[in-house]
Amino acid sequence: MANADRVEIARLIHRFGFGPKPGEYAQLVGAGLKAARQQVLTPPSTDTGLLKVANPTLTDLGPFPPQKSAAANTFEAARSQQILALQLWWLDRMALADHGLNERLTWFWHGHWATAIGKVEYALPMYIQNQLLRSTALLNFRDQARAMITDSALLYWLDGDSNVAGSPNENLAREFMELFTLGVGAYSESDVQQIARALTGYNTVRSAGTSSFNIKRHDNSLLTFLGTSGKFDAPAISDYLTTLPTNQDFITRRLWCRFISSTDSIIESGISSAFATRDILPLAQAIGTSAAMSNPLHSQSKSPVEWFISVCRALGVTPSALQHNANVIHFLSTMGQVPFDPPNVGGWPTDEAWLNISSMQARLAFSKYIISQVKLDSLANLPKTDVRIQYLGDLLGVASWSTRTKSVFRTALGDPAQLILIAINAPEYVVNA
Amino acid sequence: MDTISRRRFLQLVGAGAAGAAATRLSVADIVFAGQTRPLPTGTPILVVVTLYGGNDGLNTVIPYADPIYKQSRPGIFVDDSHLIPLDAELALNGAMTGFKSLWDNQNLAIIRGVGYPDPVLSHFSSMAIWQSAFPTSLTNSGWIGRWLDTQKHDPMNAIGLGSVLPPLLAGVHSVGSVLPLGGLVVPDRASAFALHRLGLPDSSDGPLQAAAAASISDFLNLGKNVTPILKKPAPTPDILPTQGGGSFGSDSSLTQQLDVVAKLIAANAPTKVWAVSLGGFDTHADEVKAQSSLLGTVSQAVTRFIGQMHGSNRQNDVVVLVYSEFGRRVKANGTQGTDHGTAGPVFVIGNGVDGGKFYGDEPSLSKLVDGNLAVTTDFRDIYAAMLEDVLKVQAGQVIPGWSSKLPLMLKG
Repeated sequence: MANADRVEIARLIHRFGFGPKPGEYAQLVGAGLKAARQQVLTPPSTDTGLLKVANPTLTDLGPFPPQKSAAANTFEAARSQQILALQLWWLDRMALADHGLNERLTWFWHGHWATAIGKVEYALPMYIQNQLLRSTALLNFRDQARAMITDSALLYWLDGDSNVAGSPNENLAREFMELFTLGVGAYSESDVQQIARALTGYNTVRSAGTSSFNIKRHDNSLLTFLGTSGKFDAPAISDYLTTLPTNQDFITRRLWCRFISSTDSIIESGISSAFATRDILPLAQAIGTSAAMSNPLHSQSKSPVEWFISVCRALGVTPSALQHNANVIHFLSTMGQVPFDPPNVGGWPTDEAWLNISSMQARLAFSKYIISQVKLDSLANLPKTDVRIQYLGDLLGVASWSTRTKSVFRTALGDPAQLILIAINAPEYVVNA
Repeated sequence: MDTISRRRFLQLVGAGAAGAAATRLSVADIVFAGQTRPLPTGTPILVVVTLYGGNDGLNTVIPYADPIYKQSRPGIFVDDSHLIPLDAELALNGAMTGFKSLWDNQNLAIIRGVGYPDPVLSHFSSMAIWQSAFPTSLTNSGWIGRWLDTQKHDPMNAIGLGSVLPPLLAGVHSVGSVLPLGGLVVPDRASAFALHRLGLPDSSDGPLQAAAAASISDFLNLGKNVTPILKKPAPTPDILPTQGGGSFGSDSSLTQQLDVVAKLIAANAPTKVWAVSLGGFDTHADEVKAQSSLLGTVSQAVTRFIGQMHGSNRQNDVVVLVYSEFGRRVKANGTQGTDHGTAGPVFVIGNGVDGGKFYGDEPSLSKLVDGNLAVTTDFRDIYAAMLEDVLKVQAGQVIPGWSSKLPLMLKG
């Protein structure tokens, strides 16, 4: 197997999934590039790995009780418990899915529609949004956007839940165009103001994760924007915007940025046409089989969640089963990325932003926490030679180790825990080559 | 994990370094210079405070005498009992009592109407413009990062507090360091031994893998230096009062960040630029209480920090720059908040600042551009003053083609 194919297969399994389970990378390499593409980019009808993950029990907790009241402590304990259950549930799904594509695209869409529980405060609305993103992750973007524009958590996050005719606020209107459908510069300030009027009249029950439309508070006047005029409600706005050619180009670029390169924005011709109908799976497949996948320049850093989940998958770890599992969220927080809590509506940064002293320190401590809890028998049963180095590359989906990293491995060949520590902190693993 | 002695650390580094020993040890030596060759008193230090979300400048530096102000903002104007007049026309938000004392001491300069030509109302585009200092073309480098490019590489040169590198610290060739709030812990012997070698460059590394390797070696180098300092108590504020105001149980992370900065400055860390931040300023709804809480935090944290500098004998060296990506719309929206706008005030604070006065014209409330304030001052004129009169490099080296600046510093 040419090294170039090993690199491309490692990219496939890390970018269109969350890294290999034991044996998976060697199997894909053995099957060859063509078969590997087919396997990684085709979702199965059922995923037996996911059958092991039960949905969390989340209830409508109702409004916050008065501060310092007797009920406040009970409420806060239940709220925190539900948020932790939600976060671990999703991490478990990422780690246990046999096939990573659908969870990986759900993760992508979460970063795209970046809604933060720091403001939403309840697990239930975030769960409902997450299931919406999951059920549409590989299907049609127009359907996804139409559902998202009245999603309870998103409405609350962008102040779209109290917008009334006469004096709307522009937050949802602007971000819906700038970040979710068209991209910055594809609209004017007048378009923002017109669309903000169409988005009036929506309300949410935040703790329940529901939304409703009150036509009396809706501005139903004639609006003119982006080459059209008429009367619009929120779903009609979404439908119009997602039909525009700019939308086809913008969403293609968003996927390109996260799956190929955050710096090289020159997209191969033909890629965006795969998104003509706004079906997401063909676009993901076009990107995953593009020539850019073998371009040596297109390496990408693993974000903290991507790094953690890929370690879990290789080592057979179920995140929620780790000791004091709230520590998982704590470590992810010190690395700067907690699921359901992006820093702002732009989502998480890429590449160099994750390669700093602060994340390095957190990664090291996190590594030790994980390694102390796993059995390393398969590694320990191998001879204490370079066989172990080869094994680690196949286990973790690293195409090749550098001379530098091999020399570090050779200082610890007899110590399986130390070998894993070196491997998962090596530049070749932290960065998908 | 605990601190290991300097001698022991050098042994580990030496033992592992082999072929690349000379280079790596010299980097370690530069780092240790923080203690052996401390930043001389009199070396200027810039502290950049970024307010994320778009701070509402009109409710920060308030044109309280202009009737259009209250007319434009029913329900969300700052009323007369909650403002601190600076002159007959402008007042500070009532939560900013600390800033008032800095103003009275002539240590606070307020630059009005700051922005850039053809304002962009997107958080991300506008913040990218402020952090890169390139309003017209996209660039991947930040203005402090390009200043770093003019300096000899040293992971201590510019440090941001937090878990993610702020874009302003990313240069073309150099990047600043990021220090977590909890500080750095030097790893145990076995890990340090392995990490030291993992942090060496390899000829097969692409740019990102090289950056990953560099983060490992910088972690080891910086961790050794910084850890003992952070174990000390924060310097005691001196001279200036540290009144509270407005921060009713609000986010105190800016105070924590500036406490870490104060400790490291007090320990003579050879760092010339620090970057800290506070978020939450995107007040589309229910603005008044939220914003005054945030402004109270900014005022209190910065005033406390300036007081700590007096206690550390660095009071003449430190300059604090406070900015946000844009101001907000003049008219209130229907959800007791304001939408994205354009120009806003910038604060520059320090003993060496020609303070207690305004710079730039106050934007007119009657001559709006599409409902927004007209920009009267280009932010690059402020950066140029920071670059030339604080960091002592020509502005044009960092912001190509830029030469004008505001006379913000007493010794310009």
